[in-house]
Amino acid sequence: MTDFTHGALYGGGIITVIMTLVALALWGERKMAARMQSRLGPTLVGPFGLLQPVADVLKLLQKEDIVPDEADRVLFNLAPPLGAIGALAVAAVVPFSASIIGADLDAGVLYLLAIGALGVLPVFIAGWGSNNKFALLGAMRAIAQSVSYEVPLVLAALVPVILTGTMKVSAIVEYQAQHHWLIAWPFFLGVPAFVLFMLAMLAESNRIPFDIPEAESELVAGITTEYTGMKFALFYMAEYLHTLIASAVAAALFLGGWDGPFAPGLHWMAAKTLGLFAFVYWVRWTLLRFRSDQLMALCWRWLVPTGVALVLGAALWVVFVG
Amino acid sequence: MTPLAATVRPRVNPYLSIDALDPEAELMLLHFGPQHPSTHGVFRMDLFLDGERIVKAVPHCGYLHRAVEKLCEKLAYVQLPPIVDKNDYVAPMTNEQALVMAFEAMLKLEVPRRARWMRALFAELQRVASHLLWLGTFSLDLGGALGGGSTVFIYCFRERELVLDLFEAVTGARFHYNTHSIGGNRHDLPAGWGAKVKAALDTIEARLPEYLAMTLHNHLFEQRTRGVGVLDGELALELGVTGPNLRASGVDHDLRRDAPFHAYDEVKVNVATARGGDCYARTEVRVAELVESLRLCRALLDGMPEGPINSGKPTKLPVQTKLPAGQQYVGIETPRGELGTWVIADGSQHPYRLKLRPPSLHALSALPYLLPGQTVSDAIAILGSLDPIMGEVDR
Amino acid sequence: MAMSPQRTVDTGANFRHPLYQVLLETPGLTVGTAALDDLLTWGLTNAMWIFPMATSCCGIEFMATAASRVDIDRMGVIVRATPRQADVMVVAGTITTKMAPRVLKLWEQMPEPKWCVAMGSCAISGDFYRNLYSVVPGVDTFMPVDVYVPGCPPNPEALMHGMLRLQEKIQRQRRGEVVVPEVNPGLMKVTQPSVPRLTEPTRSPEQTLAQERASDNPTADEESAPLEVAAGPAPQVAPLVGGDFAALLAELGVTELPADGPPVIPLAQHLELARRLKALGYRQLVTMVATHWLAGKGRKGADPAEPEHFELTTAVRTIGPGSKVAAWSVRLAPDEPVLTLSGVFAGADWQEREQFDLLGVRFAGHPDLRRLMQTENATTFPLRRDFPADAPAPPWR
Repeated sequence: MTDFTHGALYGGGIITVIMTLVALALWGERKMAARMQSRLGPTLVGPFGLLQPVADVLKLLQKEDIVPDEADRVLFNLAPPLGAIGALAVAAVVPFSASIIGADLDAGVLYLLAIGALGVLPVFIAGWGSNNKFALLGAMRAIAQSVSYEVPLVLAALVPVILTGTMKVSAIVEYQAQHHWLIAWPFFLGVPAFVLFMLAMLAESNRIPFDIPEAESELVAGITTEYTGMKFALFYMAEYLHTLIASAVAAALFLGGWDGPFAPGLHWMAAKTLGLFAFVYWVRWTLLRFRSDQLMALCWRWLVPTGVALVLGAALWVVFVG
Repeated sequence: MTPLAATVRPRVNPYLSIDALDPEAELMLLHFGPQHPSTHGVFRMDLFLDGERIVKAVPHCGYLHRAVEKLCEKLAYVQLPPIVDKNDYVAPMTNEQALVMAFEAMLKLEVPRRARWMRALFAELQRVASHLLWLGTFSLDLGGALGGGSTVFIYCFRERELVLDLFEAVTGARFHYNTHSIGGNRHDLPAGWGAKVKAALDTIEARLPEYLAMTLHNHLFEQRTRGVGVLDGELALELGVTGPNLRASGVDHDLRRDAPFHAYDEVKVNVATARGGDCYARTEVRVAELVESLRLCRALLDGMPEGPINSGKPTKLPVQTKLPAGQQYVGIETPRGELGTWVIADGSQHPYRLKLRPPSLHALSALPYLLPGQTVSDAIAILGSLDPIMGEVDR
Repeated sequence: MAMSPQRTVDTGANFRHPLYQVLLETPGLTVGTAALDDLLTWGLTNAMWIFPMATSCCGIEFMATAASRVDIDRMGVIVRATPRQADVMVVAGTITTKMAPRVLKLWEQMPEPKWCVAMGSCAISGDFYRNLYSVVPGVDTFMPVDVYVPGCPPNPEALMHGMLRLQEKIQRQRRGEVVVPEVNPGLMKVTQPSVPRLTEPTRSPEQTLAQERASDNPTADEESAPLEVAAGPAPQVAPLVGGDFAALLAELGVTELPADGPPVIPLAQHLELARRLKALGYRQLVTMVATHWLAGKGRKGADPAEPEHFELTTAVRTIGPGSKVAAWSVRLAPDEPVLTLSGVFAGADWQEREQFDLLGVRFAGHPDLRRLMQTENATTFPLRRDFPADAPAPPWR
């Protein structure tokens, strides 16, 4: 078997598992939200409404595909697949267990930050290509937000890199398995960095309270206003993928990844990832949303200085203690 | 003269000419509505945007203009209460009350004391239901249909259902009750209803702190509403803005206390005011009113007198009720402010002209003054905080 | 962009996505066609996303349907704010002639296959607003409706039932059955709209075309200038004096206070009185009412000597305990302008626009005299007493 086929099969396997997880996550989120709101959520479609995402996808598959007359055809059609691919590409360097990892790059952290930053591109393409004022406003907000929150995200991700001395994601997890989870020690660096990373990640993946690019009570449906059928489904899926994979990254960088007693590594990784994912949605169904200028103020006034201080702290820690 | 808000702010020019402002400005004209998730019905604002900041706002209403005033000219007086029910569809009973009170004043009919107390009780229960719905939809505006806002919204609707159940027990309808007739009420309170009301009120009171934790006492909520859409008290008076919107601007004026009707001369109302004039102050006032209404409901229930619920007049063929030629205006305090009925009769069975004074229309007329200088996100918050009901705006 | 008339009558039930066609025509898959069809129908009926065309009272019950007591999410129904991602349009509330072009436009923006649920009697037939100048007598006069949910407003349970019936209808249509609506001919006759319904044989393609054109064109009120009104004399600036309302009226030469309505003051004193009342503490504008008195009628009843005239009444209020209303009227000949009060009471702006819109009273010096309620290309003044209560307004009525 050539390397290529091996890689393709391996990657295909990972993608399949992730997509199944996304479908389950969609159902889980709807159920969780419903229970939080004293409702039942989907119950009639399949047992416990489990088949709801399947019905959604089947339905979206059959919808007419509309490209608005005034839209930029190429850009309009390019954006949705780009969004999904961008979100999936990050998954390549995430270690799901000690052995399951798509590509164990030496500069893994750099790769995932770089690819993660590309996530804003399809959003802008969609907003511009739709030729819709609501979509354009959404795209404008998304760019400002993503560019700003890239800075604290990078700073937060630098802390584990400095502390462990490597940019290889699997090595970071390995280090935590041998020593201690970064969130546990040095906790005065690990905990703030983890919180910072989660906040920046929420903003990067446009989740409440940072979901102003979509803000359906203001911008109808933001960037996806003009998208129908499967194209919308791709956006929808990319959104969940992004959150899921970002949760996995956070788990790997700060929570020790696949490390844990009694159970196989894969179970631990899945538990940590889904726990973080559920937390994100818990936040989503509890909080209201920020206004765009407040979002920027929060980022530049609080998160960026905190990030710089954390990086300095980590450097000093490495020099004097560890 | 009542004290007004501490400062009189420079007033925005609502008739600003965009070309005169800056011919080179590349402003984006955003047609916001008439169908939009946050316009509370069908309402359009044309927003001239510089980036996200609003330079000028032109509101357009009339998308739900159902010609109620024309319809009223065709119908007999006793046919009108169910028609006006549909105007303010969040507090339908108050529409009926304002209407039949005007007719009673023209006919010089004495309404039995029990009927007046019942009307006051209904009005307060409507206020509870209406303010709950407002809190829910306002959170929906701020938090989105797929987020925390919808959680508050659904909680509020859950409690509102309790109140609707009470009305259903009395009138048989969830809303559009048609329970007020000229000279009194149509449906008496069923046995054991009082206990149900108290149980519902207790439930609402017990759950209220939870909602306030998600809204009024929440940092994010404060960030979004403090200092947003400041309405100056003097301007509010000139515009005819009434109710919680006016009281949030520091004007201490409530018709329940200042020109008592129903049973409000016997049951005293504590009027809530706030001084900020912003969206946060409007929320504060409504929440305080909600709590006060819970107290009033209990007081009204405890003091509910026995006796007839209808004056029994006019006796023969109600359809042939005729009002003497003349004019009458009656304004009552509804959850949204002063709802008035101006009836002009010419001695026949039909009103010659009937003008309804909708509080929401006056509240919306403040928009051109409030929006410039704010962002699109704020526009949603401001519109929502004014609590407009398009049914009565457009009629 | 005019569509062929047949396009609109097509309810979208026969629409097949190209992908679906390919699947059906692939040789190996033909065996499983029936099963595949069932599967796709199952998907279609169990994920119906709603676009809420919630205009009025029914919109509140629509929201209650999404809330926890009924929870329509149980059957996989969620609400989308954009028509592009919706399958079912729920028309909840009265549709007016001003709104109808927008409704049709949004309907056209929804991707096939799509369905429409008319919720409440206003959406079904216009209810008691049916014959009035501004209300469309039922949405089925300009777009296809699949399920009618009667009520005023229908309970949330009724809407849920309507959605279940829609599922049933889709399933039967996809099985190739012809679904004939169960109609009560007597009821259809009673609620006969002024425009033939889409499903009626008397409906002409021209009618459909006119409605589609009306929804495609930018509506007149989106681009129009304020109406030209001759400017009146500049307002006199006089010193403001105190005193009570009766004394103030006496000062202006009005001594008797009539019992049958507010005192009528000379037209020239209109603005002055408003200014003085405001200084007196009547600081809140309550309302403005214009009345059209036909020839031979007046506020005292029938009077053959009375010519046709208008009466404009303004009411203002004091603030705080013991709040009082002061109201006065001015008498206007037809087409006689009256000075605007918008410089004294900012709220008079919209009130005057409304009276101008509905009765045609002219206000001199008004900064922005446009129609408020009707479309700006409207030509009628419907609240005038000689305006018929059931005037049709093509193409919607």
